[in-house]
Amino acid sequence: MKDRVIGQSVPKYDAGPKASGLLQYADDFTLPGMLYGKVFRAKVQAAILLGVRTERAEQLPGVHAVITAKDVPNNNLRARFGQSTDVGGQFEGLYRVLAEKEVRYYGEPIALVAAESPDLAEQACQLIEVDLQPLPGVFDSVGAMEPGSRQVGEKPNNIASHFKIRQGDVDQGFAQADVIVEGTYRVPYQDHAYLEPESGLAWSDDDGTINIRVSSQVIEHFREVAEILNLPHSKVRYLGTWIGGGFGRKEDITVESYLALLAWKTRKPVKLTYTRAESLLYHCKRHPFQMEYKTGATKDGKLVALQARLISDCGAYSALSPWVLLYATVNAAGPYQIPNVKVDSYAVMTNTAITSAFRGFGAPQANFAYESQIQKLAHILGLDPLEFRERNYLQTGEAFATGWIYERPIPLTELAQKAWSGLGPLGSAEGGRKLGRGVAIGMGSYGRLTFLHDTSRSYIKLELDGSAIIRCGVPDVGGGQGHILCQIVAQELGVPLERIKLHITDSQLTPLAGTTTATRQLMMSGNATLKAANELKKRLLIKAGQLLNVPIENLIITLNRIEVESSRKEGVSLVEVINRLSGEGEELFVEAQFNAPFTDIPASEVLQGQTHPDFTFGAYAAEVEVDEQTGQVQINKIVAAFDVGKALNPAIVEGQIEGGCIQGVGYALFEDMAIHNGVIQTPSFAEYLIPTAVDVPDITVILLESGSGVGPYGAKGIGEPPMVGIAPALVNAIEDAVGVRIADLPVTPEKIRMAIAQKPEGKR
Amino acid sequence: MKDFQLFSPTELEEALDLLTRHCGQMRILAGGTDLLIRMRDGQVQPETVLDLTRISALHFLRQDSNAIEIGPLITHTEVLCSPLLNQETPLLVQACRTIGGWQIRNRGTIGGNLCNASPAGDAVPPLYVLAAECTLASRRGRRVLPIQAFFHGPGQTVLAPDELLVGIQFPSPQPTPLQFFEKIGQRKALAISKVNMAFLGWTDQEGRFQKVRIALGAVAPTVVRAVRTEDYLVGKRPTADVIQAASDMIETEVQPIGDIRSTEQYRREVSGELLRLGLAKCQKEEHG
Ligand SMILES: Cc1cc2nc3c(=O)[nH]c(=O)nc-3n(C[C@H](O)[C@H](O)[C@H](O)COP(=O)(O)OP(=O)(O)OC[C@H]3O[C@@H](n4cnc5c(N)ncnc54)[C@H](O)[C@@H]3O)c2cc1C
Repeated sequence: MKDRVIGQSVPKYDAGPKASGLLQYADDFTLPGMLYGKVFRAKVQAAILLGVRTERAEQLPGVHAVITAKDVPNNNLRARFGQSTDVGGQFEGLYRVLAEKEVRYYGEPIALVAAESPDLAEQACQLIEVDLQPLPGVFDSVGAMEPGSRQVGEKPNNIASHFKIRQGDVDQGFAQADVIVEGTYRVPYQDHAYLEPESGLAWSDDDGTINIRVSSQVIEHFREVAEILNLPHSKVRYLGTWIGGGFGRKEDITVESYLALLAWKTRKPVKLTYTRAESLLYHCKRHPFQMEYKTGATKDGKLVALQARLISDCGAYSALSPWVLLYATVNAAGPYQIPNVKVDSYAVMTNTAITSAFRGFGAPQANFAYESQIQKLAHILGLDPLEFRERNYLQTGEAFATGWIYERPIPLTELAQKAWSGLGPLGSAEGGRKLGRGVAIGMGSYGRLTFLHDTSRSYIKLELDGSAIIRCGVPDVGGGQGHILCQIVAQELGVPLERIKLHITDSQLTPLAGTTTATRQLMMSGNATLKAANELKKRLLIKAGQLLNVPIENLIITLNRIEVESSRKEGVSLVEVINRLSGEGEELFVEAQFNAPFTDIPASEVLQGQTHPDFTFGAYAAEVEVDEQTGQVQINKIVAAFDVGKALNPAIVEGQIEGGCIQGVGYALFEDMAIHNGVIQTPSFAEYLIPTAVDVPDITVILLESGSGVGPYGAKGIGEPPMVGIAPALVNAIEDAVGVRIADLPVTPEKIRMAIAQKPEGKR
Repeated sequence: MKDFQLFSPTELEEALDLLTRHCGQMRILAGGTDLLIRMRDGQVQPETVLDLTRISALHFLRQDSNAIEIGPLITHTEVLCSPLLNQETPLLVQACRTIGGWQIRNRGTIGGNLCNASPAGDAVPPLYVLAAECTLASRRGRRVLPIQAFFHGPGQTVLAPDELLVGIQFPSPQPTPLQFFEKIGQRKALAISKVNMAFLGWTDQEGRFQKVRIALGAVAPTVVRAVRTEDYLVGKRPTADVIQAASDMIETEVQPIGDIRSTEQYRREVSGELLRLGLAKCQKEEHG
């Protein structure tokens, strides 16, 4: 097509309305007679729940409903997260709507209130009384694994999930090693810190169907909500909204089960929006991990063995912890060729805030550990860290630690070198501070686990005036998940972007497209849309071929026209072709389904073979300035280099990389979620500090387009992978500057100063 | 937030009347950047609020012979933009520049920063070393206090329930001294100080300190002066050894605590480093 849309940085479908404030986010929706919901929560970490008394709250004028566990038709569900295949076993946990018989964490919801004003709802909560018998809390995930530790959840012990990798023989591997380094790494909780807290509005139709308009990454949760209410799946409908940031937190059910219950009980519209404090204190976080690593190499710089033990704290309910753990396990050895690998990983339950999905999904945690180990080995071997990596990168046709033989390009050498040289000439440090540089690489999967047998559907319809409608149940978290479908249709069918109307996230009226998680939407819904577009295109070309009397191979689609490629003046308008087809009774709509690569469900906890459709590879280089006295770090430059397969919209791709990078900067250096005995101590953004614009330098983004992705046009996924690699790159740079290596994130000035003071040749 | 009754007088006398009448029940609102946050999360739930922002008599910035007078309603942004303060007291300008972000600086006031009495308030240490005095007024009359007598402890001032802070004044530092404000926060903007320091020092022809004032924030229940270190520096030139000894001494003069923002040890150790950092910057400005 002459006017190519694919590969162009055209403005996003939703950019204008977002910038001007016209776009409606979840909390902007209202309905006449709407009530306000509020969640009443436990103020204790662990207890036996003897009783809940709600009479006084119910009698308060203006209160329409108070709901506790006994009012919930189905209060205890198997947590399943939208997958349609039954994978059973250790992947499933308990999803409990409201606390029942026990309290497992501080802030666990006990009751729901709907009242005529937010103030009344708040007052009603204050009138609810609970009888509790406190229990000793279990707060330390490593200790919680010990036999005899008090059982936090429904499982026989506190280990919610356990995975293994067994490749070669690590004992033999370490015997061959000339150098072995060991290290224990700790990575912290992280809050998603999106602009839009959890929010939704639910109402009941005259036939009892429950409608929920909610900011969610997974509209397929209508199934769980229907089960909670004991309704047929067809009687619960999700209407998604444009999402003001998700980052994985809106992958689990947030407010929608509460909304559904309150709307079902009151038969009135109910709105529920969390305050920032509720969002920060009580909703899921990124998993903290403790990671014990042992890595061995020969003196000529070949990795021979890696052994790792990963322990994640999954909090009081398992939520997505088994899945996150699986990803961390698959990532544990990184994109390196290591003949002997042994990994044991555990998700452990404690009486702490629930941890679940967060951009990167276990990969950033493991990446920090394996890259730290690589850096330490390079030092000891006296090898340039880049060169040491180059000797060990996995090559096309070689197998990951899981044994999956990878047949696509792995351009890590090129990526890391580009990132490194992109830093340019060394700057000079201000005021006696020390300059340092570091580089690190990483990988991140895109697409859901292949044994989940993932699918997506998309629908396109051509109008008689040559405009088009797309319907696709794709939640848009701001990454252009919706917009890119328009670009695909514009490209393939010659319809101008501004004449395409997109409908997303209606669980009953838009074809189900699956979750906006796992960096899967471009690959899944992009491919489904491309498939539908190609089918329509075929119909258009056949008709145009007949009208122009040329074979269809000679035809191309341009803007609003179909032309003969060799003599472009010869052609026919799209409108004419469409009208002919319509007149002849041809269908001008197509719904298509894309199926991801499928594999079998793992037979045991030993992970073997392909687990993901593909990986995205990238590298970061950073230059920092460190003040040895105060431990303060200033980041001067960051260069990111990623193989994105194909950048369908470079501006969006760069935005994703910059955003992931900044979130990773926060993870590495800033975000310090204080938790004391299972209670989060950072109720606002005045205590939980994420980086501001002035804390982050300009980020140079280098895109490599290998065309080797599973997505449309060879694209790879880029939503989550940029979260991987930046933390070790920064830690390496800090070490280069001041000679101390911090193994616990975030690397605060306090830790740097302390480490410098403790250096043998320590400054002061 | 609970409902409340708002009074917005334009005259100071009227404001003092209202305060007397609602004695103890009323909260005072300047920029609101501290008060509204506490009202929103329910820490304070006043029945009545006195809005000062329309009282022009509290909004002034002037130089009177040798004294500089600042009205409590002067915002941090107004401090930044004042030619007078940029000329006479760059350290106060430096301090106000580090407060919050633009929105906070546009609303937040000097008076609010003082009356809020946070040990980490950034405008406070400069006013300590400038030897500022606070004028308080009520129906009962006026009183003038040196700034260190204004604070009781974290969040506590000597203001009586019927009293307002109506002015802050200090002699304009003559001749031009060496001065700086330094702050350590967890990030470059919108960060409450882990430690901050204001420094004012006059040197003689040979570069020896004649008089020194050092004040530190966030390392004690109120802002504190490092008097022993001040004494130590008098008569000495700021050589590397002297600065080292002085910064070690400062560490013994502070009594920080550990909290969500930092550790006790870090605050203590870094409070001394601020002296080194600040003086290095001053020297760089002089020579370069
Ligand atoms: C996001 C954010 C960032 C911030 N960053 C910083 C920072 O970096 N450094 C810093 O020091 N502070 C910071 N603050 C705190 C605050 O902005 C400052 O303390 C500001 O100077 C307060 O002034 P105000 O006029 O807004 O006070 P207000 O909130 O109006 O008042 C504060 C207190 O003083 C009382 N009060 C005000 N004026 C008078 C008066 N004339 N007489 C008697 N009582 C009075 C009020 O009753 C109230 O108790 C920050 C606040 C926020 C929200």
